[in-house]
Amino acid sequence: MTETMTPPTRPSIGLALGSLLRADATAALRSRQTLILNLIVPLLYIVILGINDAKKHFATPGAVVGLGITLGLMAAGMLGYSMLVAADRTAGVFQRLRVTPTPTWLIMASRIIVQLVSAVVMSVVAIVAGSIVFGTTFPWPQILGAMGVSLLGAVMFLCLGQAIVALARSQGTVNAIGRLLYILLLLVGLLGASNLLGETLQHIAVWTPVGALAGLYDVVFGAAWSGDSTIAVIAVPVYAVVLGVVGVRFFRWDPR
Amino acid sequence: MSAAAPLVIDGLVVRYGARTAVDGLSLRIERGEIFGLLGPNGAGKTSTMSVIEGLLPPSGGTVLVDGEEVTRAPLAAKSKLGVQLQSSSFQAELTIAQLARLYAGLYGLRLRADEVRDRLAGMGLDGERGQPFKRLSGGQQQRFSLLVATLPRPMLMLLDEPTQGLDPQSRRQLWSEIEALRGDGGAVLLTTHSMEEAQAVCDRIAIIDHGRLLATGSPAEVVAAHREDPAVQRLAHGEPTLEDVFIALTGSAVRD
Repeated sequence: MTETMTPPTRPSIGLALGSLLRADATAALRSRQTLILNLIVPLLYIVILGINDAKKHFATPGAVVGLGITLGLMAAGMLGYSMLVAADRTAGVFQRLRVTPTPTWLIMASRIIVQLVSAVVMSVVAIVAGSIVFGTTFPWPQILGAMGVSLLGAVMFLCLGQAIVALARSQGTVNAIGRLLYILLLLVGLLGASNLLGETLQHIAVWTPVGALAGLYDVVFGAAWSGDSTIAVIAVPVYAVVLGVVGVRFFRWDPR
Repeated sequence: MSAAAPLVIDGLVVRYGARTAVDGLSLRIERGEIFGLLGPNGAGKTSTMSVIEGLLPPSGGTVLVDGEEVTRAPLAAKSKLGVQLQSSSFQAELTIAQLARLYAGLYGLRLRADEVRDRLAGMGLDGERGQPFKRLSGGQQQRFSLLVATLPRPMLMLLDEPTQGLDPQSRRQLWSEIEALRGDGGAVLLTTHSMEEAQAVCDRIAIIDHGRLLATGSPAEVVAAHREDPAVQRLAHGEPTLEDVFIALTGSAVRD
């Protein structure tokens, strides 16, 4: 062979990010798990509450839609994202990516961008479904506000998923912790907020990620501003920052 | 083209707590050279490779890839490396054509669909381009891993046990692929447990154990240098072989 070798050059960040985004988006679209967690969970919730008496327990249709999106974001971040990262870490996908001249932050940034985009898509679908089920139209400021809250909520639950996968090394442990926390947050966030478990838990529920995010959606969809709204505005970014720091600080790329 | 050697390792030390895995290893690999790193399990081969790949920070010493220090300029060093890991996987949801495009992008190459097809055809994988990596046979997986490693036309190719688990036909085919890399002007560093492979494809070898260099030279030179050793004489049935020298130097105890 007489071919002359061309010295490799440092690839551009733009090209690397574009390649990663295309690959991660394709993987997300082909994943049945992503479809179920990002779309089916919130839709199911909105439809079930829309067709029976449960809706009378909520102040507005927007509250139901907001809670539906919250559950979808929680499932996508705590079960979908964390499991995907744990599985790829165990399989050696990250090690393979890390030996390329790509900054490691770019590998994660691409995955997070894809998750954020799917959160926005999920929110749009949930709002459309809510409009159909409740026979109402949401004004544009509410829709745009909901998109903003969805992005914030997606960041918070992705940070929670990242913290789980950072603190638990094995895929099985990540799976178990994710499911356990999901059920726990769901129970405290939903039942606690409904006053079924007493006033103390109702106060605690407002501070949980589920309660706080649902509170933000309530405000966006027209509920009156209250002390709980202030708590929600403070709690969601604080959760995101604290969990994000834990998720980055303790994350190991290598499963061993 | 840079005049630096593709790989210079000087006094490399890798420690895991109190255990020293690599103990002052020094090696130099020249252009166009295929170099075999041989050693029993736990000899320090994988730790050495991991430092070169940028996956593991060294405890001491320096590693230069084509003049770039792997700890000071990791991305520049990685851009000159092609890597085939011993156990790695690719995203399960992507086809090998999509994976080839992804990894090309990470090395700064924009490949059109027909170029991807040509590259896959060059490795005898054109018919499998719509398949995910996990559906390929062992030989096809190794060939695809080699294709990904050669995408950037690297200065230094790292192959960690490239023919492990392959049948003789696939092994021979892979050897000729490895041989072809030399013609591109780059160098190859491979690890192997197969003395037959080392003799067949390597210009020079190094035998290491407990992280220390025990012997280096061409396979014939290493055998000639130790031909008269009493331990080699005891092991040899007739003419001493590379395997006799390897066992005499590293001991006959089975390692995990």
